[in-house]
Amino acid sequence: MHFLGVDIGSLYTKLLIIDYDFKVLYSDIFKTLARNNKRDDILSKLIKEYIIDYSCSTGYGRKLMKSADIVKTELYCASAGVTQLAPFEKTIIDIGGEDIKLLKSAANAKVIDFYMNSKCAAGTGAFITEVAERAELDVADMSRLAANSKSIKELNSFCTVFAKTEIMKWIFDDTSDEDLAKGIYISIANRIQKIPADNSLPVFLIGGVAHYHPYLKDILEEKFNIKVTIPENPQLINAFGAACIARNSFVNK
Amino acid sequence: MYEINASKELKHIMKNYFSDLKNNSKPVAWCTSVGPAELLRSFGFEVYFPENHGALLGATRKAMDTIPLASKIGYPSDICSYLTADIGSHIQKSTPLLKHYGLESPPRPDLIVYNTNQCREVQDWFSYFGNQFNCPVSGIVPPRHLDVVKQADIDNVSSQFKALIPECERISKNKFDIDKFRHSLRLSKEATFLWKKVLETSKNSPAPISFFDATIHMGPIVVLRGTETALDYYKILLSELEKNVVSKTGFLKKESSRIYWEGMPIWGRLRFLSELFAQHNSAVVASTYCNSWIFDDFDERNPFESSALAYTTIFINRSEKAKLITLKNLIKDFRIDGVIFHEAKTCFNNSNSRFGMPGKLKDETGVETLIIEGDLCDLRFFSEEQSTIKIETLLEQISSS
Ligand code: SF4
Repeated sequence: MHFLGVDIGSLYTKLLIIDYDFKVLYSDIFKTLARNNKRDDILSKLIKEYIIDYSCSTGYGRKLMKSADIVKTELYCASAGVTQLAPFEKTIIDIGGEDIKLLKSAANAKVIDFYMNSKCAAGTGAFITEVAERAELDVADMSRLAANSKSIKELNSFCTVFAKTEIMKWIFDDTSDEDLAKGIYISIANRIQKIPADNSLPVFLIGGVAHYHPYLKDILEEKFNIKVTIPENPQLINAFGAACIARNSFVNK
Repeated sequence: MYEINASKELKHIMKNYFSDLKNNSKPVAWCTSVGPAELLRSFGFEVYFPENHGALLGATRKAMDTIPLASKIGYPSDICSYLTADIGSHIQKSTPLLKHYGLESPPRPDLIVYNTNQCREVQDWFSYFGNQFNCPVSGIVPPRHLDVVKQADIDNVSSQFKALIPECERISKNKFDIDKFRHSLRLSKEATFLWKKVLETSKNSPAPISFFDATIHMGPIVVLRGTETALDYYKILLSELEKNVVSKTGFLKKESSRIYWEGMPIWGRLRFLSELFAQHNSAVVASTYCNSWIFDDFDERNPFESSALAYTTIFINRSEKAKLITLKNLIKDFRIDGVIFHEAKTCFNNSNSRFGMPGKLKDETGVETLIIEGDLCDLRFFSEEQSTIKIETLLEQISSS
């Protein structure tokens, strides 16, 4: 038996196939951009090749996959995916390209509470990319740089555009690349810390940003004073969760 | 497709209301939506409600053009968007009333009356127009955010009602006649009683009227309460909805969940939201907003005291403690599974999500609660996609519990 999870995110589409025992048989990531989209071709090929019994789509573009058997929000898929790996009550922080989601997930994967930033990109992947670009930092190198900084300086502004102006001032003050990188991460952690959440629970950090910026885990551990886990392939967790939901719904049908 | 047949009659009534405002020779009073309409009517005023115009500017999305004009003269776009949309529309000299009801502008006021039982914003909003039209502005300023309304509060407000009389007499050129006041109050009471029964039909499942439909059908209770017209309309509407209850005809065929809407409507996105909930077989069956025009306390035997009580005891004028009790009762009565708190970014007066209420309500009743950010008129504060994910997650929470 094969189950397909599809996470159509604002930047990337993630596909993942599991078997009855939740073993991952296949995964793929490609750009979501609607132009020249190969999504439908890949999907029909996969569905034929793997003989998919049931599928679930999620993500910003979740309603685009017409052949999906079920459609679920990212929050439910995140909860299902992480719960499969960690079947206890926990907090999940999902930092994506354009939003942050924070949820309290039950041992049975129910979403107990959730929070999403609603209107601005502060603290998201887009924020990091924009501010890093202004500071001429290589995004892929930021975690390594930040790890070598002892600075505790942070960007204060909530607004991405103002944060870019702020970082210019740091550059004029000859702030090192290491301190710039760490400052960006601290400001994200601060934003997350202001979200009402149960800080006594273990924290799981997922999403594309966790994959490219593992240093965020260290900063969050320091801020929350709690262990933070980044699961393997954190950007695939929602697709994995979708596949788990497909599997469980099929089995319990 | 489910349709409420009374809608045709509703259109007709609203059209007549506006054409009366246009063609009549009677003096016109502007009034806040929960202001002393009955007293004004007793002097023979035609009563016009600027908030109704605000809602129309929001629903037609015309507000998006007019709000910036108000910002330019010092009314920034983060204060009440009814106020900014309405003032902007005055500056622009254009109104959706023309297309919908043939009025080139709101009717010129002879008297402007507000009640700050809902917010202080109305005072400044109405004062702007007082200056523009060189028109007298009077107000009732009741004690606010009350746990309970005490006799001293009623005495205070009822003497403020009485203090309006000389100005009303001078402008209307009619002497105050207590029997006329009693008459309009009785009509108002009967209409609000029927309006309450209309809303209560949705205690049934499948519910015959949604929150979204009710925001349209509440037109007469806002602008025509105190008249026979409003009373007659709600008789028609109620009888249709009661028949639908008996025949088990609801606006949704199947209800998977029942939702309460707390806060203002998002006027420019009513259809979008109504369709979103319908896609998930989720019925939005009750709201704080539509309940705001139920005035159980009107009593023509004591017109001043009972008006003072009814208009001071309204939900928006109560403490967090009193609001919580009301919400808990409604959740029980309407068998609600989830509450959406609309945090209107330009109206904190009508947004109850900012002092921990959603959490308290969830803890004390077990229903799921959700805050969505938006606004009554200014759609820049509303993100369709983010709100969709939030609402769908809430519905998933409800279905998995
Ligand atoms: S209650 Fe809110 S929307 Fe109504 S007039 Fe006052 S501030 Fe504006």
